Amino acid sequence: MNRYVFYNFILVSFMNLMLYVPHILIDYRFTGAVSSILIGIVIGSILVYLYTSAMARFPGKGLPEILKLYYPQWVVTASMLFFAIMWWFATTIVVVAFAVLINRFFNPDANTLIILTMLVIACGYAATRSTLSVMFVMEIGLIINAPIILFVLFKAVRSTQLNWDAIHIAANYVTVMPTLTCIAAASFIFTGYINLSLFNRLFPPNFRFKFRFFYPLFGAMILLITFFVPIGFHGTEGVGQYIYIWSFTADSLLMQYGFIERVLFLFLIVYLNLTLVYTMAGWHQAMEFVKSCFPSNKPEIDSPKTPVSNYIIVGIFALLSILYLLMTNEKINMLVTSYWLVLRLFVELFIVVWVVILSKKGAKTA
Amino acid sequence: MNERLRLLFAEAVDIKLEVLHNSELTIEIAYIAPLCEENKINDFIIVPFTKDFYPFESQLSTNPDYRKVDDVAKWQELMLRGNVLIEAAGIIYSFDASRIISIENPQTQVESAIQGPQLALSEDVNISLNLIRSMYPSPDLSVEEHTIGSLSKTPVFALFDQRRVDPTVLDSVRTKLTTINVEMLHAAGELEKLLVGKRKHLFPTILITERPDRISKAIAKGKIVILLKGNMFAIILPATFFDFMHAVEDDYDAYWMTRFLIFLRYTSIVLTITLPALYISVVSYNPELFRVQLAFSIAGSRSAVPYPSFIEVFIMLFMIETLIEASIRLPRYIGSTATTVGGLILGQAAQQAGLVSSIMIIVTSVVAISNFVIPVNSLSFAVRFLKYPLIGIAIFFGITGVSVGMFVYIVYLCNLRSFGKPYMRIFGKLRPLEGDIGQVKIK
Repeated sequence: MNRYVFYNFILVSFMNLMLYVPHILIDYRFTGAVSSILIGIVIGSILVYLYTSAMARFPGKGLPEILKLYYPQWVVTASMLFFAIMWWFATTIVVVAFAVLINRFFNPDANTLIILTMLVIACGYAATRSTLSVMFVMEIGLIINAPIILFVLFKAVRSTQLNWDAIHIAANYVTVMPTLTCIAAASFIFTGYINLSLFNRLFPPNFRFKFRFFYPLFGAMILLITFFVPIGFHGTEGVGQYIYIWSFTADSLLMQYGFIERVLFLFLIVYLNLTLVYTMAGWHQAMEFVKSCFPSNKPEIDSPKTPVSNYIIVGIFALLSILYLLMTNEKINMLVTSYWLVLRLFVELFIVVWVVILSKKGAKTA
Repeated sequence: MNERLRLLFAEAVDIKLEVLHNSELTIEIAYIAPLCEENKINDFIIVPFTKDFYPFESQLSTNPDYRKVDDVAKWQELMLRGNVLIEAAGIIYSFDASRIISIENPQTQVESAIQGPQLALSEDVNISLNLIRSMYPSPDLSVEEHTIGSLSKTPVFALFDQRRVDPTVLDSVRTKLTTINVEMLHAAGELEKLLVGKRKHLFPTILITERPDRISKAIAKGKIVILLKGNMFAIILPATFFDFMHAVEDDYDAYWMTRFLIFLRYTSIVLTITLPALYISVVSYNPELFRVQLAFSIAGSRSAVPYPSFIEVFIMLFMIETLIEASIRLPRYIGSTATTVGGLILGQAAQQAGLVSSIMIIVTSVVAISNFVIPVNSLSFAVRFLKYPLIGIAIFFGITGVSVGMFVYIVYLCNLRSFGKPYMRIFGKLRPLEGDIGQVKIK
């Protein structure tokens, strides 16, 4: 069953491209990005290790249930509302950014608002399903799309166009002191473990986290490719000109023998699928967190009938996402995202430390 | 007895009410002639009674074929099921002489396998049970009888392996079977609809089959099989999406070839769903998606077509769907003519007339052919519908819409449950030591 943990981890680590992580890192490429990446890998790995160890002590329980064990309802309600907003925001910036991206590359004539509405309806429908169904969709989405992403990454790394000198030059700035924004951006790659806050509900009591060495290895690989490959393609200076840096990197690649010549289209379609899966997972968790705010709510992992509350909560999420698109533009979205990444780092640290303390406490009392 | 029966039944000439005498006894017999085997009545009742080698009364009480009937209310039902009622010395006996007209041991027709059992289930439940029992000779095979239909009174048999069956599924099937409330029930498809309960469903969540080997395999996997009297199809539940994509031959033929066939099936299911929608989105939204030569050849073949791509798609799909429908309904001899005329000549002519592009003709035929690759007919029908919503969304959103539409389909499939079991789930096989996700019930 460990694969279900991997899915969450891999999904989020792939999604970093949509959260402007490469752009933020590349902005700081001479001022501390490389050392931040190293620190980010260390921090991320430690958090993964701590959180999985702590969660293993609460089999079949999500974060809301764990908090309910130790604290009165109002503490749970307050913290869960806050976490729900964090989770909702994590996915909304992605889906909004992707609606803009579709407008740029696929349907330049279409209205962004209409595209976003379509995406939001699809994700909303998916998010209202039961937790078990969401997990199955995530599994299928990753199994279909991950090989294509790995293919694109492989093609990029093996490309003759890749200039290793530029990568050497960028890597030589490793001695510059790291910055907080960069660490936050780099550690985002590892943040998939936090989805256990909800999906831990699914795991049976005899479940054990195995193969934990995989997380730092895979995360580090993705992070290094994310940062260095665009530099190798566009050069140390030219790389600073792009916002959707990976879309342009994918566009530098060519598939000589395929129906589709430009890798860009393959890349965008695959990322569209991943964005939908990611948004579904994020909204579903946020929805369950909101539901756990009500004391009468009983968590259900596979309810035969979809409760009306699901539709109401996700409907609100969807409307808020559309509002977010109307209120912001790409520039603000990027700025907000970089601040959100920093906030996320601290919130996650807080959650992990909190749950670790609770798990020690539980071990003593039990 | 006969006087009372005359009152119980409507006036009908085929109800036989007779009084027989021999040296010691007078008996009354009653039966509905067309439902009974006259030979059997002669051999078991009339001849032994009139010859009287052995006292008939003691024969009635010793032979278990003659069953005592205490309840007057059951008379009608017994006679309607083909029983003979006998009154001897004030006691009523029933004797089963029913005649069932059915195709004896038919060959598999709907799901044929080249190498594999060629016998299909029979319309006579006893023959079907015989086939299944002989293919699954296990003392754990349990057979339950239920009766469904207030008028048709159709006997329905539920078969399962009592050690392997999932108790929660069994419970829900039992409650469903006892609570079904209809007047008539004749076909397995009807029962399927009643069991699923949803009025509007897109995918089949219950497998209907005629192959005894598929049935015995399903029983061994802990599934429940439901047989219907007068129906040569059985129902298997719970079923998953992958069961519908599985032909029985996959287990009989060489490993790599069957893996390749399975891969072929999944590829063709994707093609048949997406291809018309992709055609619209490539032609109307993103011609730059394909490499230049291909984009030019598509555009070139469309140069004579005067209207947008989606109208072209609708014309061709309308033609192919009517063709398929027509060739199913027509008698076998005319059917092939219809397909030839429709497929070859009309397609060619439509392209030359500039109504559709030649690429669209290829797309249409790929869509139609790939659809026939699906081994189970009910899924093939469901999939035939799936391309239309995708076409709709492709008209407005192009390739993005197709992608989002496929995502929604996957979510819908993953959300389906067949009697509480997930309908679509990759890697369903579990190591029993590990346990499965979603087993824990949170308090």
